[in-house]
Amino acid sequence: MSLSPTDATQDPRTPAPLAGAIANNSFSTGMGRTIAIARNAFREAVRDRVLYNLVLFVLLLIAGAIFLGELSAGQETKIIIDLGLSAMLLFGAFIAIFVGVGLVYKEIERRTLYAILSKPIGRGQFLVGKYLGLCLTLLVNVVVMGVGVSLALIYIRRGWDPLAAKIWPAILLIYFELTILTAVALLFSTFSSPALSALLTFFVFLIGHFSGDLKNLASTSSSASARVVFRALYYLLPNLTTYSVITPAAHGVAPDTQSLALGAAYAVVYITVVLAAATMIFSGRNFK
Amino acid sequence: MRKNILLLFTMLVALTMSIGLVRAIDARKTNAREQFADDRLYLNPNTARRLALAFNGLAADWYWMRSLQYVGRNIVTYEEDHPESFTIADIDLHLLPSLLRVTTALDPQFIAPYEYGAMVLPEVNSDEAIALVNSGIANNPARWRLYQHLGYIYWKRQQYDEAGAMYAAGARLPGAPDWMAAMGARMKAQGGSRDAAREMYRHLDESTIDPAIKEMVEKQLMRLDYLDQREAIRNLLTAYKERNSRCASSWRDVANELRASGLTLEARTGAPLDPSATPYELIKNGCDVGLNINTKVPLK
Repeated sequence: MSLSPTDATQDPRTPAPLAGAIANNSFSTGMGRTIAIARNAFREAVRDRVLYNLVLFVLLLIAGAIFLGELSAGQETKIIIDLGLSAMLLFGAFIAIFVGVGLVYKEIERRTLYAILSKPIGRGQFLVGKYLGLCLTLLVNVVVMGVGVSLALIYIRRGWDPLAAKIWPAILLIYFELTILTAVALLFSTFSSPALSALLTFFVFLIGHFSGDLKNLASTSSSASARVVFRALYYLLPNLTTYSVITPAAHGVAPDTQSLALGAAYAVVYITVVLAAATMIFSGRNFK
Repeated sequence: MRKNILLLFTMLVALTMSIGLVRAIDARKTNAREQFADDRLYLNPNTARRLALAFNGLAADWYWMRSLQYVGRNIVTYEEDHPESFTIADIDLHLLPSLLRVTTALDPQFIAPYEYGAMVLPEVNSDEAIALVNSGIANNPARWRLYQHLGYIYWKRQQYDEAGAMYAAGARLPGAPDWMAAMGARMKAQGGSRDAAREMYRHLDESTIDPAIKEMVEKQLMRLDYLDQREAIRNLLTAYKERNSRCASSWRDVANELRASGLTLEARTGAPLDPSATPYELIKNGCDVGLNINTKVPLK
């Protein structure tokens, strides 16, 4: 949700109105405006109690995993990592989808978008700012949850556990996956309703984890046109299996530097494509 | 104030009613559990892996805990109906192979289910046990412990050559201890001996942190000690009979010989104590030795 000057006077907790913040930004450059929007989107998200509830729920789950581990015949650390990182991915995906689809829609619905776009700011800058704000929120959430998992591991060991550090590359890959999902949610939100956007993003999340099957279908299908379609889908939809390293992490196997670098590069490139498409659609929309 | 009292009263009444309802629901659940006690696993392991998305590790943990609870629940149920001594083989655990297969299909690097399967499944279905541990070796070829477990399963089947071959194969892997190669040779030379069994159980005990497996190993070591002690006591009783042309009338008759052979005697009756510290009994009119009904030594 963005803030109009009226909103700001009604709620004392409200930060400086976004439109004003953009105009008064000391960096009167494109990047400065984008950062101002990102900062505002982050503040909005931080004020949202639902986010705190989700993070608290994940931390409770991690604490619960300590007790659950006692039923596992000596597999406590595996249970804590599996449950902790899976909860991080699942609830991170919820945040990315449900907050992501509302980023643009709320601004349109509350008509605050008009005040923002009347300032010298491009629609692309607005979208990227919103996106970066949510990514920053996700980063904070993921770090809090990751610290929770590490502390749970240290608690179980009654001292330092090397796994508490070894899980962080896996957490980084989860974060990359969430940033891709946020971009997809933002793309859908530029042209459809929040409910439909959430549903479509969730489908992308599911299909992204079946990308290996798409590749198999592309190579085993008897029809040439089906092979082309499956291959196209394989390359068009995000390949989220790259970021599925929770199970190896639970066995103490961290992804190597090359996998991390490739994962990061793929995320950056894919997000660029999606945000460019979102900007194109958003720029073509008539808000009059 | 009156409104608050009314609300508090309503809460208390509703809470009491909810407790009653939960108890009624629980009573129905007991019946349902009996009705569906033999439920099958409809999910194919590979389908389960596919459907688990990125959460296959978590799903494997769930199936793992379900396997442990399945065994534990069946043991408790069996114990309630059969207070006498029993082994895993006496209990119906027909779903265990499927549960462990799904667990390991979801997370092929999860070693605990293979080890648990190697210890418990031979009593249920040793072919399934071999298949499970072989799949573990295929997915984790560098884990020498899995060869140790496969050797144990073959030993249980009295296939000592195969057991020896497994120990020898495991011994060739990096990090395998020297005793693996020694066990391989020993299995081939004297696989059926008690000393070989004792050594094997000792190594199994070292390799696990599962309390249930440790307890099983402890009982089997107890049984091996019992077999040694029974043999020694029988020899003493036979020697007494040959000297006196009659069997011993009480343990006091052979007390010195029992003490000399290193057995611990009960102070009151002079009866030797078995490995679970329960006094042995003189049977067949003092000509043979038997276990007391209260003993914790397993019969098989």
